[in-house]
Amino acid sequence: MKKIRLLLVDDETDFLHAYTRRFIRRNAEIESAQSGEEALEKIEGGRFDVVILDVMMPGMSGLETLRRIKALHPELPVIILTGHANSKALIEGMESGAFDYLLKPVGTDELYFKVLDAVRARRLPSD
Amino acid sequence: MQTLIRNIFNLIRRAPEDGDAAARFIAKSENFRLLLTANNEALERMAEMGEDARSGRAFGMSHVRASSLKTAASVRGMIERLCRMHPGRYDALKDVFNRIVMDMENALVQRADRPAGPMVLGLDAVRADAMPETGSKVALLGEIAAGLRLRIPRGFSVTGSAFRLFMEHSGLDDEINRLIQITDSSELDELRNLEASIRRAIDMAAFPPGLEEAIDAECARLRADGKGVRLAVRSSALGEDSEEASFAGQFLTLLGVLPGDVAEAYRSVVASMYSATAMLYRFNRGLREDGVVMCVGCMEMVDAVAGGVVYTRNPVAPEEGVLVSAAPGLPCTVVDGSALIDTWIVNPDTLEVVRAEIADKQWAHGVGPGGSIVREELAEGRGALPAIGEDLVSELARTGLAIEAYFGQPQDVEWALGQDGGVYYLQCRPLAVSGRESKPERAPEDEDAPFAILASAVPASPGVAGGNVFLVESDEDMLDFPQGAVLLTRNARPQLSALLPRASALIAEFGSPASHLANVAREFSIPALIGAPGAVDRLSGVSAVTVNARTGTVYLGIRQGQIDAWSGRKAPLRENDVVQALKRVLPYVSPLNLTDPDAPEFTPEHCRSLHDITRYCHEKAVFEMFAGSDHPTANARKLMGETPMQYWLVDIGGGTAESGEEGYISLDDVRSRVMLALWRGMTAVPWDGPPPPSASGFMSVVSQAAQNPALTPGVANDMGRRNYFIVGRNYCNLQSRFGFHFCTVEGFAGDDPTANYALFQYRGGGADIGRRRVRIKLVAEVLERHGFIVEARDDALHARIEGVGREAVERGMAVMGYLLVHTRQIDMAMADPAAGERYRAKFERDIETVLNGLPEAAGTEVTGQ
Repeated sequence: MKKIRLLLVDDETDFLHAYTRRFIRRNAEIESAQSGEEALEKIEGGRFDVVILDVMMPGMSGLETLRRIKALHPELPVIILTGHANSKALIEGMESGAFDYLLKPVGTDELYFKVLDAVRARRLPSD
Repeated sequence: MQTLIRNIFNLIRRAPEDGDAAARFIAKSENFRLLLTANNEALERMAEMGEDARSGRAFGMSHVRASSLKTAASVRGMIERLCRMHPGRYDALKDVFNRIVMDMENALVQRADRPAGPMVLGLDAVRADAMPETGSKVALLGEIAAGLRLRIPRGFSVTGSAFRLFMEHSGLDDEINRLIQITDSSELDELRNLEASIRRAIDMAAFPPGLEEAIDAECARLRADGKGVRLAVRSSALGEDSEEASFAGQFLTLLGVLPGDVAEAYRSVVASMYSATAMLYRFNRGLREDGVVMCVGCMEMVDAVAGGVVYTRNPVAPEEGVLVSAAPGLPCTVVDGSALIDTWIVNPDTLEVVRAEIADKQWAHGVGPGGSIVREELAEGRGALPAIGEDLVSELARTGLAIEAYFGQPQDVEWALGQDGGVYYLQCRPLAVSGRESKPERAPEDEDAPFAILASAVPASPGVAGGNVFLVESDEDMLDFPQGAVLLTRNARPQLSALLPRASALIAEFGSPASHLANVAREFSIPALIGAPGAVDRLSGVSAVTVNARTGTVYLGIRQGQIDAWSGRKAPLRENDVVQALKRVLPYVSPLNLTDPDAPEFTPEHCRSLHDITRYCHEKAVFEMFAGSDHPTANARKLMGETPMQYWLVDIGGGTAESGEEGYISLDDVRSRVMLALWRGMTAVPWDGPPPPSASGFMSVVSQAAQNPALTPGVANDMGRRNYFIVGRNYCNLQSRFGFHFCTVEGFAGDDPTANYALFQYRGGGADIGRRRVRIKLVAEVLERHGFIVEARDDALHARIEGVGREAVERGMAVMGYLLVHTRQIDMAMADPAAGERYRAKFERDIETVLNGLPEAAGTEVTGQ
């Protein structure tokens, strides 16, 4: 089975380590970035199937990062995964083209299935 | 809808070689599948929110926020999928959704936008109307100083405005909400980790400009007379000390603080809002964690000779009179429950002492040379003397009653006797008093008398309850405290309040009915004895006891007669702040106003709730999938064969050879290998029919069918009444209803393994939810054994294989086909574990047969059903 290439963007190292371990067990290749700026650099340098993006980060916010990713790579699915239950972030994130908006804590299965859905949706032709 | 569904896929059918059309159909089908998944999620979450509002179980605001946002996110996902099914047609839904979500947000937000006031206020300027800035504790103190001319310590308040500025300026508001959200727990050990994380965030946060300077200026004012000043820095949170929730002892008070350390002491008091015990208290009382505003009182310490508390009514025996408590030195031992104290009952009319209980006190607290609080052992014989004289007891009772008359309700007043012989009033707050008759009755339960193992303890919260004794001596013991146990402790420490919602009763060797812990016990209606000398020695190792907090007696064993006779605990549940917030948001979530798809009001603009949007999206998605304008005419062909079930087939490109007979197609003309693999799974082993009837299984189905109109025969599934195979050269999709369960099977198997997949969605059933869950578990196990990854929740299951070779997809299709047919109605038999095992073994045998017969050319060996 082909490995899914995931970019996890979150400023919390505990979160990055935990989810990296869980996804490696699910046959995914994980890279992580601790800021929006680092995420944009990594996306330029490598090919990813899906980005999982936090909202509240020091420096460039998650929503700004999302807008920049979408401007450069409209086809790259971005799943927002945040600890801030914030209505405005939901609205702005989805309007900016996020594939989905999830709240922490999220089960590994649930997140993995969203990732798989996003990978498949990416392959679909748009009308 | 029925006619619309018959009009199917003609355009694609007419252009079988058109790869783009096939790809577009697969894209639409995928969006439809994702929309149905989001639809189920949204409806489940709406049902959970309704259940939360009705259940009476405890949860916090972070749960309400998360539930609201998750429901909204699922609905937004549906809108996205629908918009992708027909770009441009449904964009208006996005604005409607945004409006509803912002209405939900406004219903959840509590903190009013107040104009910012001063960051500090001198106590001499504070009256009761300053409460929104100073909290009730400080405001009421200012009020009795001004209105009753009572002496209070000098000092100032760090205001609610200062707190809001601190939270907003530093970003702590968002960070704390995030930490609570991701912890999502009410377990004490996890809350302790959360407490540490929040404490770190608060420690690192910068104060807003001007706050430290304003505090320093107030401290300089206090120091102006040249004396060395020490301060008490106390919480005075908004809502603290109210009759509904005292927060007694939940927040920090720091004593002996040097003027230069007040700003950091303020930080610590703010952090105490998020101690594990304070968070658990709010959780169990249903108080909003996002609604607390911490105002802080900073007052000059009184170098006290003695101190204590006046209750203008004895909270457990209101008719007895005024209760005055005192200890030598600072009054902290009276409220923190750490030592024995003196108590007097005073006649409210004559102000005469009617009863005095002078304890043999060991310790006194005072302010040490460096400002620290020191504990001194009392000299031989001094501990047995009353901490204050009876004249002062009467004077305190008189003042307490004056405060009660001033505010019009019973009061809890903390006082200290200064070196100069004058009394300072340190706090006053409303006192909750038991409304029922609860005069201590000396051993009324005569027949249980032989089982009394502890008598003459001091009742602190009325009631009778039984349970196993559990001694808590350390913080580690707290983590092991079992539900329903009798909490036994030496000192009535306020931290123990975290255990009270789980305790049946409380027995503390030291402390008094005036302690914080007693206050919280009364709030939770937990029978409590506080002041029970020898209790730890006598009760350690005893298993079950009955605590009678009317008589102050503990009995060996569960004395059911006494427990039944006490009905005071059945106080009606008050609808708490959190439930009220949930109920304010539900009108934007649950009501279904759009019921008639043919009505002119069936438009995005008429959606008034998330449920309306869900309904609208589902209806329009079915329309787009099966009746959209680009699929004007039906051209599905009926599959020929001797099958009890009827199937129609739609070719989206290369899935069939041209056949002679209009309207019909034979299996021999099917070219879609994935469909043939699925068909083999469905038909290679004949179905045995429904499981042998058992009365309970049958009744389970009948009762479910009666409650669930979707199970009525003839009701359409997501595709209407017919079962359609939608096929392409490398593709097959089957959405069908077998018995009472709904399934989607889909597979794509081309030359590029990265594009290949097999998907299975399965939910529903006729039997009760318990049996359906057992069936789902069985189906999940079989699928996992054959390489699927599975997500199962309740009676719903999603399974998939991705990125594999053509053959693996075809084998997966065969396994799914087998399960589709052979798990029909077995949920009825799932109450019997042996039946589950039999099915598991049979499925494995049969699937082996199915797979062994799956040829390289899958189409050649299939048989009719």
